[in-house]
Amino acid sequence: MPTDFRRSRRTGRDPLAAVVLLLFVVFFVLPVLWLLLAATKTDDQLVHTNPLSFGSWHALRGNWDALTGYQGDTIFLWLRNSAVYAFIALAITLVVAVPAGYALALTDFPGRHTLLIATLVVMLMPSATLVVPLFLEMNAVHLIGSMWSVILPYAFYPFGVYLAYIYFSTAIPRSLLEAARLDGCSEFGTFRRIALPLATPVVALVGFFSFVANWTNYFLPYVLLPQSNQFPVQVGLGTLLDDVPQFNPTVGSLAVERPELALATLLAITPVLVVFLFSQRFLVAGMLAGATKD
Amino acid sequence: MRHTSRAAGANRAGLSRGRTRAGLAAAVATLTLGAVTACGGGTGTASGAHGSFSPVAQTGGALTVWVDSTRLAAAKLYQQENPQVKMNIVTYDGDANGSNYLQTKVSLFNRTGNGWPDVVFSSQNNETSWAVQDGFTAPLNKGLIPQSTLDQWATGANAPCTVDGTLYCLRNDLSQTVLWYNAPLMKQWGYQVPTTWEQYEALGKQVAAQHPGYLVGDAGDTFTPEVFMWAGKCGANQITGPKAVTVNTTSANCTRMASLLDTLIADKTVSTSSVFSADFDKNDASRILMLPGPSWYGGALFQGTFKTPAKTVAVAPMPQWSADSTPSVGNVGGGTWLLSAHSANLKAATAFLTWVTTADDYQGKLAPGYPAYAPAAKTWLAAQAGSGYYANDITTPLQNAAGQVWSGWGYGQFSQEAIWASTVTPGVTAGKTIVSLLPAWQTAIGNYARSDGYQVSQ
Amino acid sequence: MSTVANTVGSERAARRRLRPVRAGHGFVAAYVVLLIAFGVVPTVYAIYFAFTNAGNTFSGLSNFTDAADDFRFLPAVEHVGLYLVFWLASLVVFVVGLALLLHRLAARGVSRALRFLYYVPGALAGAASVMVWLFMLDPTVSPVGFLLRALGFSTFNDVVAPGNLPVLFTLMAFWTGAGGWIVVMYGALNNIPTEVLEAARIDGANAWQTARRIQIPLLRKWIVYMVILAFAGGTQLFVEPQLLSQASVGVAGRDYSLNQLSYDFAFQTNNVNAAAAISVELLLVGLIVATVFVARSGFFDAD
Repeated sequence: MPTDFRRSRRTGRDPLAAVVLLLFVVFFVLPVLWLLLAATKTDDQLVHTNPLSFGSWHALRGNWDALTGYQGDTIFLWLRNSAVYAFIALAITLVVAVPAGYALALTDFPGRHTLLIATLVVMLMPSATLVVPLFLEMNAVHLIGSMWSVILPYAFYPFGVYLAYIYFSTAIPRSLLEAARLDGCSEFGTFRRIALPLATPVVALVGFFSFVANWTNYFLPYVLLPQSNQFPVQVGLGTLLDDVPQFNPTVGSLAVERPELALATLLAITPVLVVFLFSQRFLVAGMLAGATKD
Repeated sequence: MRHTSRAAGANRAGLSRGRTRAGLAAAVATLTLGAVTACGGGTGTASGAHGSFSPVAQTGGALTVWVDSTRLAAAKLYQQENPQVKMNIVTYDGDANGSNYLQTKVSLFNRTGNGWPDVVFSSQNNETSWAVQDGFTAPLNKGLIPQSTLDQWATGANAPCTVDGTLYCLRNDLSQTVLWYNAPLMKQWGYQVPTTWEQYEALGKQVAAQHPGYLVGDAGDTFTPEVFMWAGKCGANQITGPKAVTVNTTSANCTRMASLLDTLIADKTVSTSSVFSADFDKNDASRILMLPGPSWYGGALFQGTFKTPAKTVAVAPMPQWSADSTPSVGNVGGGTWLLSAHSANLKAATAFLTWVTTADDYQGKLAPGYPAYAPAAKTWLAAQAGSGYYANDITTPLQNAAGQVWSGWGYGQFSQEAIWASTVTPGVTAGKTIVSLLPAWQTAIGNYARSDGYQVSQ
Repeated sequence: MSTVANTVGSERAARRRLRPVRAGHGFVAAYVVLLIAFGVVPTVYAIYFAFTNAGNTFSGLSNFTDAADDFRFLPAVEHVGLYLVFWLASLVVFVVGLALLLHRLAARGVSRALRFLYYVPGALAGAASVMVWLFMLDPTVSPVGFLLRALGFSTFNDVVAPGNLPVLFTLMAFWTGAGGWIVVMYGALNNIPTEVLEAARIDGANAWQTARRIQIPLLRKWIVYMVILAFAGGTQLFVEPQLLSQASVGVAGRDYSLNQLSYDFAFQTNNVNAAAAISVELLLVGLIVATVFVARSGFFDAD
């Protein structure tokens, strides 16, 4: 059992390891802590007070009111759009990528190698010039302006297919599958009864990464979505940034103060963190428990 | 055995399914590729020769207007005052911060042949450097807007919109440079507001000696060349044709302004941090004696960012070189409105365009920046002066400066601000003098201009 | 080599004996449709752009020479090369190291909390973090201002001086990217049977030996995947210099990388063909490195 193993290692507790782990915690978390505290300050306090000091509840309230007042609750519209695009695309990705990864890893068919190579090539292609053909494709099928013009490209997630491929090729023992086939299972039956129950970690992994990739994608919706009420929250943040006087001095009375932007950023990243916490349980579940016939 | 026959059965079924699926995949591929290549093409052109303009079929419909969030109020006000006009208002980033969104989308629309907005606001004033070639903008002075209206724009305000005599956009606001100063402090220390650059430099040296820590200017912004070099008539950006530019940054005009800045930087009375940077806000904001800068400093910088108390900030004309007979000031930005040549609703679009650039209801009363349309500017100035924030009458210097923007600095496709920021600012931060960086600045401008297709001459 | 081919051949034959040959098609059909529509077609189209000009006529290698002649091309190549060294080294060493350290932690709750904390910056992609970096790197307002001032920087512009950029971009990319890979590696470590690790412990192997001889070799495929993607991601550096360019209003990070140059060509100069030429070059470099790794590690073979 994993716990037994770890407990037996505890005798060799390494202070150096603890220091290293702690240093990295500071490295990763400090800027986010700053962001958290920045949302509680006024713009003046942001510059003039200690970076890690708490502002005031009053200022936080003010920032919240200003943020929700921006173009009338648009932030919630953006969040809703992000959620719709990300979850629908995620569902499609899971249905598509997990079986594909399984087949690439554990079955043999003509074109298997070609598919792996094509996936790799497409993954490695820089995206700058892919926007134009994508736009033309979407226009050709009259999807410009529809949310499917971003959801369908999101659903194509080769990184996830490769994750599933590596997982299935390393984590499922051949003996298990042979046992199933010996019992007369069809390929789909094998997949459904043996591989899928054991695939919880990779489903969580692919699902989570797909969700994050969809949620944080900026350029595709920026170019493909014509109406501002379709924007996901990432593009919305860009819009807010463009109204910060320090970046755009002529913005006038509609200025978005930096603490307001900090609050918007926190709202934008919270769903990702929630999904992470939810899927963490499944992400790292590991060992198979004696599932072969021998 | 059962296993084998089932496997064999699965094989046969799988065979046909596999073939069908492969066929389907191939069909999808061919179809998509075909559709895509069929639509592919170069950049479309709706207008033929310069100025000649054949409108598309005028089928009317909703007026699609692209604005940034600041101009959203204008579009909404127009909708409110004209409820019979069907409008589709879209907010976008206004092409700010080098986003190139408008150019990107127009080139995509040119490929697909549809989707252009009717009227667009851009925070940039150099859109005509690509939009005319791409056939996006409609000529405005060939019958769409009466010349009597167009004549009321400030002198040279529509110069960035004019290509070979044809007007392709309308200027929304001006950002003429003036000298902002702290009136009570100047009075307290017995200084005279300088009218020449020589006096300005002398005063800077005096301040360094008598009141160290106080600033008379800032050379750390991206728009520093537009404030100082433009005003000093430096020939770094002489656009001589649609794709031709003459660049000379080592002339006497450029060198004398650069060495003035160097002297004051060395004295520490001119800062090398941007006025919008955190360290300027923290350390220098309360120690500004004078600040040459654009007209929007009053609202955005002093009132908005520094929260300078009322009756402190005053405006004086930009200093001039004593030997110069014609006054010149610089200009930092100013947005433009464009009318699409592909619009199927020209009448409504032109009506909106004319209203949004000239109406007192918006430009005079709501606009955050100095309107480029002179009558609206009068209303705007009256409102600003009436606010009681400024320590002197800001109307006269701003109005005069509006007509003094030097015409020798053009509006090319390449961004002078970006070039200065990436070439000169790092050098100044590292301790080099601006004079020593002038040749590098020239090379950089030439490089960027050439990569944008310009013919560069010295 | 013939022995390898023989092994592969016999392995493949073994697989074919056990599974119906065509069943795999059913599983990948939907994926193939998406792959063609959103992967192959745009990629082929982009390659088509790279070899044609604006008038859609074949233009040979002229787009490639045009791109290479641009004054920003060579500096961009240097920048990317330097960045790659920093980036690959730090990512591989620290991600694998941290995953191993986390895996050794006795307290499951602490391990889970740390993995979450390491991941949090990964949620801050794009426009969200412009402001964060603007403040983190400004000695006057940063929480680590004392550190920056100790290094001799007094203003933001000092910190983003050209010489510091490779380190800065590595820091920024690592900050957002490492957490996800640590989660992946940690999960992969959990798939190693405990009996193996127990046996090693009984044999007297210490942590370092266990890691080197057992865990890392068993993580081979994951590490290869990470290196391939990190290499491609490094050569295609875009987000970090773009962020810094926005935060510094153009002072640092503008036209820093080849991918940025490609975007400039595509969306500023409206020269999609030169942009595609650079993209194809970046793709080729990524593919060559990927091929080397795939071939040497047997990435495409099932274990």
